[in-house]
Amino acid sequence: MTGTKIDEAAVLETLRQIIDPEIGVNIVDLGLIYGVSIADGMVRVKMTLTTPGCPMHDSISGGVKNTLLELEGVTEAEVEIVFEPPWHLSLMSEQARIALRVGNF
Amino acid sequence: MAVFLPISARVEALKRNALKRNASGNASTLQPFNVSTASIALPLSFIVAGLFALFAGAIWLVAQPQILTAYHYNASAVAAMHLFALGWLGSVVIGAMYQLVPVALETKLFSEQLAKIQFAFHVVGFVGMVLAFRVWNMKFVGAFGTVFTIGVALFIYNVARTLVRIPKWNVIAAAVASALAWISLVVAAGLLIVSAKTGHANFMFRFNPIGAMHAHAHLGALGFFIMLIVGVSYKLIPMFTLSEIQNHHRALASVILLNAGLAGSFISILLQLALKPLFALIIVAALAIYGWEMMAILRARKRRALDWGVRYFLTAISLLAPLSILALVLSWPKLPLNPFTGQLENVYGFVAFVGVISFAVIGMLYKIIPFLVWFGTYSKHIGRAQVPALAEMVSEKWQRLGYWIFLAALAVTIFGILFSNALVARIGSAFFAASLATLALNVGKILSHCFQPKLAPLAAPKKL
Repeated sequence: MTGTKIDEAAVLETLRQIIDPEIGVNIVDLGLIYGVSIADGMVRVKMTLTTPGCPMHDSISGGVKNTLLELEGVTEAEVEIVFEPPWHLSLMSEQARIALRVGNF
Repeated sequence: MAVFLPISARVEALKRNALKRNASGNASTLQPFNVSTASIALPLSFIVAGLFALFAGAIWLVAQPQILTAYHYNASAVAAMHLFALGWLGSVVIGAMYQLVPVALETKLFSEQLAKIQFAFHVVGFVGMVLAFRVWNMKFVGAFGTVFTIGVALFIYNVARTLVRIPKWNVIAAAVASALAWISLVVAAGLLIVSAKTGHANFMFRFNPIGAMHAHAHLGALGFFIMLIVGVSYKLIPMFTLSEIQNHHRALASVILLNAGLAGSFISILLQLALKPLFALIIVAALAIYGWEMMAILRARKRRALDWGVRYFLTAISLLAPLSILALVLSWPKLPLNPFTGQLENVYGFVAFVGVISFAVIGMLYKIIPFLVWFGTYSKHIGRAQVPALAEMVSEKWQRLGYWIFLAALAVTIFGILFSNALVARIGSAFFAASLATLALNVGKILSHCFQPKLAPLAAPKKL
């Protein structure tokens, strides 16, 4: 126990440092993070990738774990990659849509 | 006890929909993710070998443009053709397949070790074949062709065993399996043609040698390279443009028709049957359906801006339209056999191998090489340092320049071939070499990341 309080906002802010290298937008604004659960120093992230065959699978999940462990107060981190529900562009933030010039959907 | 914190209501809504679909039995169940990317050294070795063959071939065309302006049944033309088809396209496509097939089909490559062994057979085989063709020594062509064939057999076995592992077959798997079947026939036909020229396989003498050569080359171009371009693009173009296949039946129809047309074309070209236009028409119909589906995928895309790699690829496949018209003309049985129609055949081969296949492959290389280098150099640094995006690893300026020079090269060279003008063909080939120089500069820029990674420190994590 570190006594440091971790919240979802801090976790998401940290994860914004991870950029999807093909798309060039961070994984949070891209809408890849489906959920965060926090218990004491343990952080669990449930996330997806833009496509089930994404070759960046291990790199991104490993990167998320590394980033979480850098966060003060985090003693353990777990990343679960799911493909249900499948990622959709409606999950992107407004900034990401503008950056990618994403059309209507 | 852990508390699950929902990120957004939209995720929840999607989840609810998914649960409903699960309850009604319509949803695909979650598959365990089991993708493995082959080590980058393996595909990169094939790709680098292919690029050397491409640059050597381009210089050769500048030095000897008569390869293009004379009828193609001569030692230099056959040697150059094998340098392009086996050395450049074969190497790059096989290397890319070892990386892409597991990605596109969400599985693991059966054996990386076999692929490494194939690399040795492949390089020795194609280099020896090109040199032997150049001096027209058919015994050596046969010997090196056998070496090459052993490599191809290892490739077929490896990819076939990989296909066996995939949980659910789709149009991409069907196209890859078809390409494997056709390449085995292409290689067998090639060996038989050489055997006949060395006094063996005498039954081959019942076939017209030009017909046999055309059937062999045509099947290689369409059965292996175009089939793979069609199949793999059904995965890659939606992935790169944030879209999806719009009609799976239409996509599958394109592959089935292409197979039907190829089988008929191979036989009718080999036996010089009057049915050639019918099978050419079936292939054209397959490619038209493919184009229709690609247009639908692009119209549905959410990423409006297309990067240069995708533009190269899409321009290349749009050249299938004029190529198809030329194919229908050349398949006509009453076409007079004169020097001009001979040059039309050269134009057909040039547009197919350079305009369509090479241009498409260069476009895909602009996606594959940055990924491989990024994966090898930066993937371990994610979450520890800021790493460049793939788009930052290439020079867009060089890509744009190379694109336009390539199109100019195509136009000028086609003019030179059509009118058997070696000077014009040489100028066109020089443009082609200039376009490839921009590719070489970009590949150098991408590979420089292996030796000088561009890492920056992450912003300090927020303290709470």
